[in-house]
Amino acid sequence: MLIDQLELKRAIAGDERALQRLWSQHAPHIDAVVRRLCGDPELAADISQEVWMQIFRALPSYRGDSQFGTWAHRIAVNRTLNALRKIRRLAKLEVDIEDDSALVEPDTDRTFVAESIEQAMTRLSPGARAVFVLHDIEGYTHGEIGAELGITPGGSKSQLFKARAKLRKLLAHLVDESNSVEGKVHVARV
Amino acid sequence: MSHVSEDRFDQLVSDERARDGATLNSWETIAARAREEGLIRDNPRARWASAPWTRAAAAVVVLAGGISIGRWMPTSGGSEPAPAVAQTAPAPARFTTVEEAWATLDRASAEYQSASAFLAANSTLATSVTDSVSIYRNRLAALEQLMDATAAARENAPRDPVINQYYLATLGAREATFQQLGAVRPANLRLKGF
Repeated sequence: MLIDQLELKRAIAGDERALQRLWSQHAPHIDAVVRRLCGDPELAADISQEVWMQIFRALPSYRGDSQFGTWAHRIAVNRTLNALRKIRRLAKLEVDIEDDSALVEPDTDRTFVAESIEQAMTRLSPGARAVFVLHDIEGYTHGEIGAELGITPGGSKSQLFKARAKLRKLLAHLVDESNSVEGKVHVARV
Repeated sequence: MSHVSEDRFDQLVSDERARDGATLNSWETIAARAREEGLIRDNPRARWASAPWTRAAAAVVVLAGGISIGRWMPTSGGSEPAPAVAQTAPAPARFTTVEEAWATLDRASAEYQSASAFLAANSTLATSVTDSVSIYRNRLAALEQLMDATAAARENAPRDPVINQYYLATLGAREATFQQLGAVRPANLRLKGF
């Protein structure tokens, strides 16, 4: 969505209503990516505040050559990954991307029943979750993910393959709606 | 352990992609942070304009100002009595809603502009042509400054009715003055500025 230049000028000038309109329009999507990358609602709320401050601070540098939502989304991803790095949640991924320990299934996973893909994602390691979210949800290429996370595109592919396999296991109880037989199989709502 | 089918998994991923969900913070929380960092700058003019009593007072100023300008405009001969309609003070209006009051104000503003245009088209001056040109040029210069001020204010608050009233009233007065100036200036005098 293209942003109105006058509205942008007002937002840059510190007009609260203009800033609020930007936030109202884009927060649902921006906050969703922050929440998915963090996997922890409280942490995500804190990081989201930082993200929005960064977006507001960077407004004068927005040139309008990409859609505002895309531009803000990039800031959100960068800021969130930086914040996660600071609290060492991504350290394992960056130190050794080929180390499968991040995906080893702990005992608790054997009894964990995910009601939704978002819930299932919380069982992934931070690095694997970041790769899965960026690739499958947000549409990043492996090259872009590699650049964001400081890993090789091959490492990103490998991590994604394992993340998907784990998610499919965690969601195993969700039966295909097309194959279910009414009255015999419960189809979980997600 | 079994897996959910690939098709079903793809469907779940697709659903997740389309789901934005609730925001993580309220605007009040975000605004408080932004204010702390100086990213939100409170606009005293907007606060001033949002107070109901100041809006009402400003509306009175617009009307009174408009009437004063209208009466001050030279009429034919300068000593002729004003038309009866101008001498009759309107009865105090009673409004039951804010919308009604603003609608009346809008109508009054439009009538003021129309009357100004009529006067501009029909008045002759008792004073010399040189004086009247000077008067109108001074008035135009003042109105241009008002236009700049109100136009800038409208950029910050495009929906503020008080500012819009000022802007429209100034626009009308400026247009009328232009017409008056056009009517009195000598044919060989070209306007280059005020």
